[in-house]
Amino acid sequence: MPDRGTDRILVVEDDRAVTRVVSAALRNRGYSVQSVTTGEAALVAAEKEGPDVVVLDLGLPDIDGVDVCRRLRAWSTVPIIVVTAEGAHERKVLALDEGADDYVTKPFSMPELLARIRVALRHRRALRVVDQTVLEVGDLVIDLPRHAVTVGGRQVDLSPKEFALLSLMARHAGKVLTHRSLLEQVWGPEAVDETQYLRVYAGQLRKKLADDPDRPRILTEAGVGYRLVDPDTSDH
Amino acid sequence: MGTLSRRRGTIVGVRRSLGRGPSPVAGVGLGLVLVGVVTAAITPVRGHVTLATPALALVLPVVLAAMAGGRVAALTTAILAAAALNLAFIPPRWTPKINSVDDGVAFAVFVAIALVVGTLVAREAARRRAAEQRTEEIQALYREYEAVVAERERLTEESHRMALLQRVDEQRKALLRSVSHDLRTPLAAIRAATSDMRSGADYDDATRDELLDVVGEEAERLDRLVANLLSLSRIEAGTLQPDRQAVAVDELVADRIRRLTHLFRHVRVDDVVPPGLPLVDADYSQLDQVLTNLLENAARHSPPEARVEVGARARDGSVEVWVADEGPGVDLANREHLFEPFRRGPGSQSSGIGLAICRAIVDAHGGHLDVKAGPSGGAVFYFTVPVRHA
Repeated sequence: MPDRGTDRILVVEDDRAVTRVVSAALRNRGYSVQSVTTGEAALVAAEKEGPDVVVLDLGLPDIDGVDVCRRLRAWSTVPIIVVTAEGAHERKVLALDEGADDYVTKPFSMPELLARIRVALRHRRALRVVDQTVLEVGDLVIDLPRHAVTVGGRQVDLSPKEFALLSLMARHAGKVLTHRSLLEQVWGPEAVDETQYLRVYAGQLRKKLADDPDRPRILTEAGVGYRLVDPDTSDH
Repeated sequence: MGTLSRRRGTIVGVRRSLGRGPSPVAGVGLGLVLVGVVTAAITPVRGHVTLATPALALVLPVVLAAMAGGRVAALTTAILAAAALNLAFIPPRWTPKINSVDDGVAFAVFVAIALVVGTLVAREAARRRAAEQRTEEIQALYREYEAVVAERERLTEESHRMALLQRVDEQRKALLRSVSHDLRTPLAAIRAATSDMRSGADYDDATRDELLDVVGEEAERLDRLVANLLSLSRIEAGTLQPDRQAVAVDELVADRIRRLTHLFRHVRVDDVVPPGLPLVDADYSQLDQVLTNLLENAARHSPPEARVEVGARARDGSVEVWVADEGPGVDLANREHLFEPFRRGPGSQSSGIGLAICRAIVDAHGGHLDVKAGPSGGAVFYFTVPVRHA
């Protein structure tokens, strides 16, 4: 069933067969699809067409996909879902650090990619109406000026670091945040390798927010980072 | 290490050679014998000759002793010769006497000759020793130089071997890289298509056909890749032997183009192979693989709506087949690299083994594969196969 007929997806992929499948499947769901095969063409198309989501393969023939992320992010907030080859872990993390929102690993399943696209679109729409002082992710409400957090109306007491971590993830709800970017923004540049901090704090937050292990708010992206989602609308 | 000890050995050898030269003992012995011989030879005829004969004849032992034994031997022999002259030839015989002028002159002359010749011989010996020493030094230096050269040759050879090993290693890595990339790309498309079809989505006919087409075509792409990999392993093992038969090039080309129709969705293929070409002597499936690779290359590098031409002609006992495209063309200056395994063009999605395999197959048939620029840009790959003689 069409999710939303007017959403435009820019597919950046240099293999014709993959492009044909992705385009056909997306069009079948009612999306409008534009496909390009090079990074330069992607940058031009992103500026001219203003897509709602960019699906970007990192292995492009002309410029590095990570560069495309960086250059796109310089002026656009469009959600970027990067497609990486299996085994290209560092490049995936690099792309996320450079502003990509999410990733799928080749070979990916179409339902998986469609789910990521839906998440990206939902958060893009949410971002347009966000009240900068109060963040809402499902029943999780964060009042930034008052440092107050409620889950389904229940007050949750957080330490300053827990609050900083949660509000950072809420501000980028749906987006994968890398270990490095979380550590740098919450603990400072000298703590970027202290991944164990995140394990401890994510665990504490899950406990305090009473996360359901089957439908968690705080998702672990193994080896990459974390993301905060609304479990009631998430496909995860 | 070896060079150092060799050098020490040389120095010892030079010192030893300095001790050589005239031997005084041998000289004295020679002088003694010669004086005796001359005296004995002239004594029977002394009544018929003047004193000048024994005097001159006795100079000879002095000179020879000087040459053989140096100054000491010369002086000793001179004294002997003077004594012999004095005793045997100047009367009264067998009586030592130093009263005549003859005696004094003879003695002085013998001693003077002994000194002069002895000095000359010593000097000559010293000169010879010096020359020998220089020769030895030069030889030592030369040996050292040879050792250095040999060492360098050994190192060069070793570095060649290392470079070769490194190249093999790099090729192996490149093979793994390109094979995993080439296997995964079609698999990714197939996986995406089948996973979508299983998700229970409603399709219109066009979408369903598109997805099924991709699955089929990508499966064929995998098949072609596997065929190339098999050929590559045969080439590496040296077992790529054409199973020759009579092949009609026009039929082969037509059939291959028909089978690859889906590759040419975005381009136009013109088969301009004329009928009536002589049959070629070739392995049908290997020739088919060459053509497939060249056509796949041409399709991959063609812009949309471009034209790919396949032609052939008889030429010098061979049939030449060409595949011309209207793509970006190739860098002709570096075209040999195209035929090396795992060379990808910039941004190329091919494994980089296709052209290397084509070259190996054509070579195995005794033909020739090359590329040239097309008349209106693009690349023209062409190869020859020998005509079959009935």
